[in-house]
Amino acid sequence: MLFNSLGFLLFFVVVLILYYAPIFRWKFKKGMLLVASYVFYGLWNPPLILLLWISTVVDWTVGNKLAVTEDKRKRNGWLILSLVVNLGFLGFFKYGDFLLQNFTLLANSIGWDFEARPIDIILPMGISFYTFQTMSYTLDIYYKKIKPARSFLDFALYVTFFPQLVAGPIVRAKELISQFYVLKRATVHQFIWGMFLLTLGLFQKVIMADTLLADTSDTIFNSTAALNFWDAWAGTLAFSGQIFFDFAGYSTCAIGIALMLGIILPHNFLYPYGAIGFSDFWRRWHISLSTWLRDYLYIPLGGNRHGIRRMYVALMLTMLLGGLWHGAAWTFVVWGLLHGIYLVVEKALKHRVKIKINSINVIFFAFLTFTCVNFTWVFFRAGDFSTARHMIESMLFLNPDGQLVLGYFDLLKVFTITTILFFTHWYMRKRTVKMVAQSLPTWLFATVWAIMMFLLVIAQGSGEQFIYFQF
Amino acid sequence: MSLKRSLVIAVILSLLSIAGWEVHWRAQGYYPELDDDKYLWAKTRAKVEDAGKNEVVIVGSSRALFDLQLDVWEEYTGIRPIQLASPGSTPLPIFSDLVNQTDFSGTAIVGVTPGLFFSTTYPKAPPWNRAQKRVDFYRERTYAQRLNYALWVPLLNTFAFLANDEENWVDDLNLKNFIDRIQIGERTEGPTMPPFYRFSEIELDRNVRMKDKVVIDTTFANSIKKVWKFFVSGDRPPPDKEGTISFFAKDAEKFMNRGGNLILVRCPADGFLLELETQNFPREDFWDELVQQTGATAYHYSDYKVLTGFDLPEWSHLSGPDADLFTKELVNIMIADQNLPTLNN
Repeated sequence: MLFNSLGFLLFFVVVLILYYAPIFRWKFKKGMLLVASYVFYGLWNPPLILLLWISTVVDWTVGNKLAVTEDKRKRNGWLILSLVVNLGFLGFFKYGDFLLQNFTLLANSIGWDFEARPIDIILPMGISFYTFQTMSYTLDIYYKKIKPARSFLDFALYVTFFPQLVAGPIVRAKELISQFYVLKRATVHQFIWGMFLLTLGLFQKVIMADTLLADTSDTIFNSTAALNFWDAWAGTLAFSGQIFFDFAGYSTCAIGIALMLGIILPHNFLYPYGAIGFSDFWRRWHISLSTWLRDYLYIPLGGNRHGIRRMYVALMLTMLLGGLWHGAAWTFVVWGLLHGIYLVVEKALKHRVKIKINSINVIFFAFLTFTCVNFTWVFFRAGDFSTARHMIESMLFLNPDGQLVLGYFDLLKVFTITTILFFTHWYMRKRTVKMVAQSLPTWLFATVWAIMMFLLVIAQGSGEQFIYFQF
Repeated sequence: MSLKRSLVIAVILSLLSIAGWEVHWRAQGYYPELDDDKYLWAKTRAKVEDAGKNEVVIVGSSRALFDLQLDVWEEYTGIRPIQLASPGSTPLPIFSDLVNQTDFSGTAIVGVTPGLFFSTTYPKAPPWNRAQKRVDFYRERTYAQRLNYALWVPLLNTFAFLANDEENWVDDLNLKNFIDRIQIGERTEGPTMPPFYRFSEIELDRNVRMKDKVVIDTTFANSIKKVWKFFVSGDRPPPDKEGTISFFAKDAEKFMNRGGNLILVRCPADGFLLELETQNFPREDFWDELVQQTGATAYHYSDYKVLTGFDLPEWSHLSGPDADLFTKELVNIMIADQNLPTLNN
């Protein structure tokens, strides 16, 4: 079920009525939220709820066993069971075809005439998100950072909580499960602010991403011709904006919906295009994933505790796997590789070149970061390396006679939105939406809210999926 | 800033704006209408799963959609056909879906618009892809999408400003369309498509009628003629006669072997389009060969005096009243030939 759909509106109203009905106890309400979450997921593809159940049961069992077992071999065994089940699901459903294709290529390259039919299996929505979430629970118990959930219901709801089930934020157990232990009700203030965040998230998705930027990005990246400099940049910037608004929009909706239930979810985006440097970018972009990768991959790989060389290796591996997490294609790996290189270069330069960031050069470094990030988006969006190569060449002035695909208005639209986006992120670097909202007069805030609602109604979004659902 | 007061003001302002928006567009002559989209097509396609021997399914392009009126058909046969024709597309993928993905063995009416029917079997070519997307959507649609559509239809029937047709008509009232219509100068090469206005109305069972405006407003009709000319101008791939007939004949054979009643229908064309079709798709080379290779019952409008002589306002489709008459005469001919099931005595 999509947040930007009438079905969700009806679903959520029913959930709210049951949730706030004074006749039910908290345990019933949690049970209702759990059932609602399965309905939310099952309306997409009912049989795939089974995967959620298996993940839930396995990690609940493993968590409980880890909590009472001190024997290291046994603890390792239980952990491996959880990792095998969760990564096995990911491997089979998400990477099955990719692995088969690459195995076939490898076999053919060494002269083995091997041919395999694609598995052609459906990718369960949000599998990358909920498997990472359940794994974090087991890993945290393994590392003795947390205790197991108090009840199976609390744990099952943690795995399945519908606002963040299919596209995050990937919430840690200590942040969410404990919120289920006591009765939760949103205050009036929280409820209204949640409504505003839901409106803002939908506005980002439906108006900014789908209505204003998606077509330009699709036109450019679906083009087979070598493109003109301006067209290539417009396409890349359009995608850059589209993926931000699409994903941050989803996260904002999720945070708002949860808040209307009195549940607090962490921020997932903090104005990433205003970042100064790539470490800063990853502290602002998809924060729940980057912190997950840091805690469960980068640090176990050694982090920065074993010298610079080992740190660079850990960093590169983390970013390569982070790239692969986004999709089963080598283009995603290259996206991760580029970010890995950026981070390594940044860390290397930091030790050698001392640059004092001041109020004048800071905007230059933010712009430089934004520009470099845009080059990575080309690999993220391009369906193949040939398209990516054409795009990069065009963006570097190497196709002076490239084809003109977009009209003047499209160019104006994309460059205007990008400029506003960049400066907004820059301005918001040390602010939050709430801080800005609180500084506005009531009439102005209400008018902005009303405009967003009106535009949402007249946009009549086609109800298409969020980009990150496929990850 | 007070959140409570903000919410109240925002809700009031947005409701007033939406009401104003609706009133504005109604004053411009707009009224609530359904969209011919993949959701409606899939909902109609689902009816085939339970269709019996007496049922009639129509596949084809827009001519089969405009020219065959379901009310008239039902009046003369007692059977309301399932309308699966899809505009701007070849009927081959939809007929193939009917034959290979269902056990339907009733009557299939296949509308043959030469420029589309004989165009291609290449999956990525628009005439094929447009139809295949609907077939795929029917297979892949989720329960959530079904629920959304069930909630969406009453709104479409209530508000004039809701219009989100897949065809992206130039007069659709959605934000994306307003933005897409803004042009500054000419930057890209190649011809620009003339404005394509919505010129038909569709009902919940996909019965389609041409809007009266096409008949009474010559300028409006001419705007559609310009679009047809645009579609057939420039470098276009040659028809794939052998490929399309061969593809269709295989499905036709399978369908008839299991007892299906296959009827090919060629609906009228006029003016520039008729000239073009006569020149590029000579009847003896295309239609006659299709009929011969499939062995299906076939009705070409030009073989019957009562099916000719219509004035097609935009060269390709019959007006509503003419479509009623055409359907009545065609159905009566088919009944007289004992080629059509009827529940009427």
